Amino acid sequence: MNESRENKAKELFDDSVDRLDAATLSRLNQGRHAALDALQGSRPVGAWGRWIPATGVAAAVLVAVMVVRGPNAVDLPIVSVTDFEILLEGESLEMLEDLEFYSWLEASDLEMNGNVS
Amino acid sequence: MSACAAVFAVSCTREPSTRASTLPRESQLNQFLADVERRALRIAEIAVRDRDEALDLVQDAMIKLVKNYAGRPNDEWTPLFYRILQNGIRDWHRRQKVRNRVMVWFGRGGSGDDEYDAVAQAPDLAGRTPDEELQMGEAMQRLETAIQALPARQREAFMLRTFEGLNVAGTAVAMGCSDGSVKTHYSRAIHTLRDKLGEHWV
Repeated sequence: MNESRENKAKELFDDSVDRLDAATLSRLNQGRHAALDALQGSRPVGAWGRWIPATGVAAAVLVAVMVVRGPNAVDLPIVSVTDFEILLEGESLEMLEDLEFYSWLEASDLEMNGNVS
Repeated sequence: MSACAAVFAVSCTREPSTRASTLPRESQLNQFLADVERRALRIAEIAVRDRDEALDLVQDAMIKLVKNYAGRPNDEWTPLFYRILQNGIRDWHRRQKVRNRVMVWFGRGGSGDDEYDAVAQAPDLAGRTPDEELQMGEAMQRLETAIQALPARQREAFMLRTFEGLNVAGTAVAMGCSDGSVKTHYSRAIHTLRDKLGEHWV
């Protein structure tokens, strides 16, 4: 792709930006003002405080699933408590910035525990 | 990795506002966010293929920028904002994967949420003849489809460089990688798009 094609891509993109509908622009405006409110707003809930409800709900869901499914359930992909926490956690996690590293770490743990054939 | 540490030497290609430095901090932030929010929304929308989700991601990024980086120099805001947004987009994709995994575990299979309704998402038309509008819309749709098919890092590099106009250093901060990685991802994205779109991209 040469320079003119990049310019064409930019032109198409800018055109799509210019044609955003009024409802979307209104929501962006509201979001911006909500963000600016945070400048004088209350302090965020502490890290531990944020995890308490998510962890509690995750544990409850896990127990409920174990009770419903019983001990003879067929083999299915393992879903960890962490997975539920990620689903329930609205905030982004800094550790997820380096997913490849954590994938490698998980694979290394499996190998060390002899779970990989 | 601290985003701030990497931002010190970055100067963005986007033109800094000379007027901004004389305004109160809140007004400067408002001006910055108003300038960047629509492009950011479209970039997020292309990445996640859902406008509502994209709106949430952009708002989260705005809130985090204001809360955590309001005190940083203005010319660092753009790469920091896109760093936050890209992290949010990656988190979103990871949550989608986990959600699908949970659905499989519950025997519900994959969700059909990924279907992208181009007609429903089409923006309002204004200012051109119907034929021109149609051509522009179709061309953008082809481009979006090709961009969405790119690997995530190539997609990030292409959109930040081409659509947002960040330079290599700013893109590197936004993506959390080296300048060399940005060049590699961007070059591969360009070649893939050229191969896919060919003569249609004119």
